[in-house]
Amino acid sequence: MHMADALVSPPVAGVAAVAAVTLLAVAARKVKHTDNDAIVPLMGVMGAFVFAAQMINFTIPGTGSSGHIVGGILLGAILGPWGAFLTLASVIVVQCLVFADGGLMALGCNLINMAACSTLIAYPLIYRPIAGESRSTWRVCTAAVAACFIGLELGALAVTIETELSGVTALPFDKFLGLMASIHALIGIGEGLATAAVLYFLRLYTPDILAGYNTSVGSTAKSLKKGLIALLTITAILAATFTWIASSHPDGLEWSIERIIGSSDLPSRSDTVSGTLESIQSATTLLPDYSATWAGLVGCVIVVALVWLLCRIITALRKTN
Amino acid sequence: MTTLEKALTQFDAAERASHRHSALHSVDARAKLIVTLLYIVTLLSVGSQQLPTLIIFAIFPIVMCTMAGVGYDTVALRSLYTLPFIAFVGMFNPILDNTPMLYIGGTAISRGWVDFASIIVRGLLAVQMVVLMVITSGFNNVCRALRSLGLPSVFTTQLMLLHRYIYVLIGEAIDMDRARRARSYGRQRYGLKMWAIFVGQLLVRTVNRARRIHRSMLSRGFNGEIRAFKITSWRRRDTLFTMVIASAIIICRFINWDRLLSFLG
Repeated sequence: MHMADALVSPPVAGVAAVAAVTLLAVAARKVKHTDNDAIVPLMGVMGAFVFAAQMINFTIPGTGSSGHIVGGILLGAILGPWGAFLTLASVIVVQCLVFADGGLMALGCNLINMAACSTLIAYPLIYRPIAGESRSTWRVCTAAVAACFIGLELGALAVTIETELSGVTALPFDKFLGLMASIHALIGIGEGLATAAVLYFLRLYTPDILAGYNTSVGSTAKSLKKGLIALLTITAILAATFTWIASSHPDGLEWSIERIIGSSDLPSRSDTVSGTLESIQSATTLLPDYSATWAGLVGCVIVVALVWLLCRIITALRKTN
Repeated sequence: MTTLEKALTQFDAAERASHRHSALHSVDARAKLIVTLLYIVTLLSVGSQQLPTLIIFAIFPIVMCTMAGVGYDTVALRSLYTLPFIAFVGMFNPILDNTPMLYIGGTAISRGWVDFASIIVRGLLAVQMVVLMVITSGFNNVCRALRSLGLPSVFTTQLMLLHRYIYVLIGEAIDMDRARRARSYGRQRYGLKMWAIFVGQLLVRTVNRARRIHRSMLSRGFNGEIRAFKITSWRRRDTLFTMVIASAIIICRFINWDRLLSFLG
């Protein structure tokens, strides 16, 4: 789900960056004023743990493929939502800077899509109320699967909105959302099962680790009710979106690429939000947009190749000296 | 080599590269961060049909690689890791947009293909500049630069702690993985149950280690902030570097390269 710089426009990246930095500032303040002194070093080590755990894949039965943990809900269960957000955000920044996974300008989008959706929405609204403080295995497992699923679906929805607002892809919003939602539904269930398995292990062998986050959540029955209401609300929003897709396109989520190719009545780009953004961009550009010509393209490639050759010569001369 | 070992090697290579000496290494990390951000914003503002301008922007990472004494092929190769997701989103453009745009002899290339090429070029160049910034500054200096640009200190401290502990934790995971492989008689994959026990144990070890580390940090006077061993100050050459590169980026953005260089084609 890591978005690259090429997939976002400057206005979308800017708005997302402002939102992400605001969330980071709030999270930093919350963590700073917590009573738990050990949370900062614990966050550092837990971030490293998520990083290492993401490189250990498990086999998905019957598919031949493999999956790994993302960690938002697991971190939430140990550090609380704000600590988990800061930790997951730092993992995403390291992935961007060291592994070139996700763009620097798209960092704000990635923090919202991957960290905020799972730790600040799915964890407190879905996982926490459903799991409560009971030691019931099925409740923890149900909470983990539901929270991971909802968190990833919200992330997929956010990716689709950001990409469409940026006007990068020619794929219509509904089809892109259908593709992203169906892929992430499967990933969400896999992630949920993996998170549930690790939480089950921890509850069995070292329950004190999970006690690190001792915020009162009220009575179990009340929490369960709250969780179910949140789950139903979010599901209703997602369902409304998908129903709209299904009603406007009878093929629903089972559309195929062949059908897209064959379709002749696709909406033109100017009809969409991206078209509006494009017109704003062209109005504010100093030089009017122009179409590339083959001769100009070849000329630019030649110039870049010459610069590269010159740099190679300079490097070679430097080495001989 | 396992994924864990590869990751550790990559971390190590990036960190060792940042300790070299070159014209670009000596520039303040803040200057490089400002220039990188400006470069990416400008790159993203170029329209997708302006492919020649996007290609011209490749000059910046090439020249900066020379300044850093790093081969461009190394940086370009690392940027290729980002290709799958960019290509996934961009691949629908050639299918959906068949408007002819470029003509090579009698063959027409559609606007969709030009858009697709633009997305790929833009994505790769943006990543190359970030890779260059990190391998010539070092991760900790980039964190300090981010701090000076206003990111909360709790977050930058978290980034530095995370970076340090990644070595420790990946090392721990490698040891556990190696021990498990030695006892698994050729079975390479983890089932969900085995995986959960493995990751759960790694987590328990992690938390125990965190507690020990925290106690030893407190005994050495840790007050929630990691102090820099070497504090760099902004010099005149940093201002010069920022001004020259920023001006070049802006000039590149507003020149009609297509018309200027069409005589070469």
